[in-house]
Amino acid sequence: MDYHLKSKVYLSKSKINFTFEQINIMNTRYLFNAKYRQFGWMVFVPATILGILTLILEWEPALLDVKVLGFFIDEVFGVEKLVGFTENNILNEILGILVILSGLLVAFSRERDEDELITKIRLESLVWATYWNYGILILAFLFLYDLTFYWVMVFNMFTILYLFIIRFTLAIRKLKASASHEEHD
Amino acid sequence: MKNTIKVNRARLGLTQADLAVKVQVSRQTINAMELGKYAPSTILSLKLSEVFGLAVNELFMLEEGDWS
Repeated sequence: MDYHLKSKVYLSKSKINFTFEQINIMNTRYLFNAKYRQFGWMVFVPATILGILTLILEWEPALLDVKVLGFFIDEVFGVEKLVGFTENNILNEILGILVILSGLLVAFSRERDEDELITKIRLESLVWATYWNYGILILAFLFLYDLTFYWVMVFNMFTILYLFIIRFTLAIRKLKASASHEEHD
Repeated sequence: MKNTIKVNRARLGLTQADLAVKVQVSRQTINAMELGKYAPSTILSLKLSEVFGLAVNELFMLEEGDWS
């Protein structure tokens, strides 16, 4: 069976709303439909701002103090448990998950005119973001200790997404700007 | 690698946008190829060759620097 056809059959069997686009048989790209990018931005920007504010202000609204299921629980003044329930404020979990999911939509939704040049730019941006992400981590390993290192680790969970989005968005803008300055014949 | 896309496009009276539609890429990609900033895939090269009615090596030529 044709690979393209196969992917369609699998999708029709599944209940997943997100459709991974497989443009043609030669180029399998695990990308979301272009329409999800805008929704991604609408969540990504506020979740980022709220996330930073929550970290700075150590904001933990009592409303979100709940008992949650956890694994390998090691409470400071409590018992160690392999599996069990523990008290936790879930605001940072909610914001962290929102940033990751919306960031993935922003980063990996197709461009409206996605083609092989954009795929190349996407790959280059991903390589660039990975190098910088781990470059920052290596510097943190070498020069930062204790709580400062902990804070870098917290941000490092997200930096690869941010670096990729910044690099890719700028590269696409530059590409479109350079093309619009060329001949309009 | 140099190419003769711009010359051949003019020969057929096509705009970058027209050619982009014919070979199913964005106009930016046609522009980047004409400026020598992007070397296309084999599939895109073959599509261009079909649109222009020319062999691929009449559209794309290796340069000295490509061997180093």
